[in-house]
Amino acid sequence: MSSVRPSAPQRRRTAARAGVVVLAATALAACSSTGPATTDRTGIIIGRAMDVNSLDISRSLCDTCQIYNSAVYETLVRATPDGELDPLLAESWEANEDSTQFTFTLDPDAVFADGSPVEAKDVAWSWLRLQNLQGLPSYFMQGITGVEAPDERTVVVTSAAPNSAFLNITSASYMGIVNSDVAAENGATADADAATSDSAEQWFLANSAGSGQYVLDSYAEGSEIVLSANDQYWGEEPNFSSVTIKEVTDASAQLQQLQQGDIDLAMQISFDALDQIESDESLTTDVVPSYNFLYLALSPGVAGGEALQDVRVRNAIRMGIDYDTVIDATLAGNGERQSTGIPNGFEGAEDLPIPDFDPEGAKALLAEAGYPDGLTLDATYPTFSAYGVNSNTEMQSIQQSLAEAGVTLNLSPVDFSTWGDAIGTTGYPVTAIYFAPDHPDTIQYFQYFSLIDGSVWAGRARMPVNPEENTLVAQALAQSGDERTATYAQLGQLMYDDAIILPVVNPKYILASSADLEGNNYDITRNLDLTRLTFAD
Amino acid sequence: MTLIAGALPEASPLGTAPSQVPLDDERLPLRARLRRLARPQIVLGASVVLVWLLVIAFAGLLAPHDPFAASGGRLLPPSADHLFGTDSLGRDVFSRVLHGARLSLPVAAVAIVLAVLVGSLVGAVAGFFGGWVDAVLMRLADITMAFPSILLAMAVAAALGPGLTNAFLAITAVWWPIYARLVRGQILSIKEREHVLAARAIGMRRTAILRKHVLPHALTPVSVNATMDLGQIVILVASLSFLGLGALPPSPEWGAMITDGAANFYQWWIAAGPGIAMVSVVLAVNFLGDGLRDVFDVKNRGR
Repeated sequence: MSSVRPSAPQRRRTAARAGVVVLAATALAACSSTGPATTDRTGIIIGRAMDVNSLDISRSLCDTCQIYNSAVYETLVRATPDGELDPLLAESWEANEDSTQFTFTLDPDAVFADGSPVEAKDVAWSWLRLQNLQGLPSYFMQGITGVEAPDERTVVVTSAAPNSAFLNITSASYMGIVNSDVAAENGATADADAATSDSAEQWFLANSAGSGQYVLDSYAEGSEIVLSANDQYWGEEPNFSSVTIKEVTDASAQLQQLQQGDIDLAMQISFDALDQIESDESLTTDVVPSYNFLYLALSPGVAGGEALQDVRVRNAIRMGIDYDTVIDATLAGNGERQSTGIPNGFEGAEDLPIPDFDPEGAKALLAEAGYPDGLTLDATYPTFSAYGVNSNTEMQSIQQSLAEAGVTLNLSPVDFSTWGDAIGTTGYPVTAIYFAPDHPDTIQYFQYFSLIDGSVWAGRARMPVNPEENTLVAQALAQSGDERTATYAQLGQLMYDDAIILPVVNPKYILASSADLEGNNYDITRNLDLTRLTFAD
Repeated sequence: MTLIAGALPEASPLGTAPSQVPLDDERLPLRARLRRLARPQIVLGASVVLVWLLVIAFAGLLAPHDPFAASGGRLLPPSADHLFGTDSLGRDVFSRVLHGARLSLPVAAVAIVLAVLVGSLVGAVAGFFGGWVDAVLMRLADITMAFPSILLAMAVAAALGPGLTNAFLAITAVWWPIYARLVRGQILSIKEREHVLAARAIGMRRTAILRKHVLPHALTPVSVNATMDLGQIVILVASLSFLGLGALPPSPEWGAMITDGAANFYQWWIAAGPGIAMVSVVLAVNFLGDGLRDVFDVKNRGR
């Protein structure tokens, strides 16, 4: 050991040299901090209020997760902005005639970040794990009875009932493929008892095991996610050497940091600040329509929600919301009303009834239901800033208008993790949250919001399954074209009649970034598609 | 926070001769006692506090608009009709500030009274009994004081859940040790003072000594301290609300209003209104507390 140790004068010299290096580094750092707009800049910093519930792709379900999952993992097929499917890990795919069997052929060039090839067994393992974990995103695998890998490049998926939406579903970021060998070494399993025996969630907070353009460098909860470029990436070279998603919770702080150059792209700018951004030449902005929506969810089956068991009360609440005023208060008017849990523009949403503000009608309905003097409900919601909407503003505005209809809402904002824990256990009679699409098929909205077997909100609302909706969903999955659109519309009407999910607004979306960034976008499956973003030369 | 540590007699405004002021307040005629209080600091502080007390009493009459309903447009800048402008829901910020005083100030006052009661009780028990009771109670106080007060209050408030009641419970939970220590120290030192020893020598009963000769001397610094702390408590209540751990929407509590303002950065008036109100209260209370301390502090007497 002693021979390795430098002698005293040598150590002193080393120390001096280290000092010089530190000084030089400091000087360099000082230079580079003069502005982010230098041409040799290769890392991007994205500011957003994060809502990460997990970084384990098969347990996660959140807007930030969509960005992370699609940066680090890859799906077999990719949904283009206009809803078509492009090859990604799979070079070709086909479905049998009645949509019960799907065969994918993997791209032979595809490799994971550790250099090992992406094989059919990885696909089978990833999807079975997603199904068996019985977590939030498991509903994407609903009805799938088998995923097999007859050879290294072929994946065969079978479904008990026809599932014409499955190819679209495979483009959802949660359907990304995990390197099964690496994950299994770290406690992950795809076995039938994965829900209890899988112990990899912690490992995924510090590691990724995908084939995407980036790999997870570090994650600090409440602070940032840092990704670095995957050197082994098998496709087109990533546009950035690193991607940092920085937690900037409120919209005004995002704007400030964007103007100062601390972040390159801000994802939740408020419309009240639009004038300021548009007048700033160092920034570029665009306002685009979105498929996102914010909604009120009523849970008749939880304690405190008894009054909501009467559908007239739920309808009265829908009629008691002054939509235009709420949209004004939250988005300065930049949003549309929406019928039910299917966003405007998705198949089946066209002809559904749009809710109207009618406080007198609401009062009459309440009286009919046995509440002539109105009623009081507790509304607990997470504090969020989503799509530029501040949840406190949204809920206070709804509270104001519902008061006119005789419904007193007691508001209590809680933090996201508290909300996430409680919504699945004790539940909340009234809550407010938001949703962004995961893939281009309307079926996701029935699987998530309608009263069918396995639906997330049927469970949260503690509502019995509606057999008619169950049948119609199965029917829609066996149909295609106009026939299917008609069934979707019929299902949408049933969901509207259930009055469990009451959309408040379908907001427009502000794409805001520094002017030297090009290709800022709103992506159906990825939320923000990093491959389309690049620094201008 | 300390503005002037013990004003010099020459600087006293009405030219009273404090050197001749007898030690015992009760010997002084009322007018002379009032004159001792007539320092600009105290007068200014007391008048602002009085104004706020009037606001609390008559907020409903003084407020030009309903603090919970939209009045005019949203995000309007300050004008004659809306002195502090309107917020993102179109509510009049000025009216909300006035109504907010009804929440922020009484909550702070109740919290400080509760902290004084709990703290004084613990301190008196510890000082009076001594021994292991003293050791246990004071270590408990030390442990509580080892945490930064805002952090501990946040933790307690987060555990209890949001709401103003829980906020002031949280504040009491972190603030009592200050008074426990103060009262205990006072009692320990007063117990050994000559006038107490003299009282004991002439055979006064222990309870009478405690009541007439120990407690009154211990309570003056407590009340002065409480006045000075009131400002900090107002800020603490607002901080908890600002962080979402205090008042619930749509309450016009000042801290909660500042949160609203933070979400609308370019509409500066939303946060400025409650901010100005808070500054005025805290400054006034500090002036008052400082002035009172100068008057009552035993160490400043006779100087």
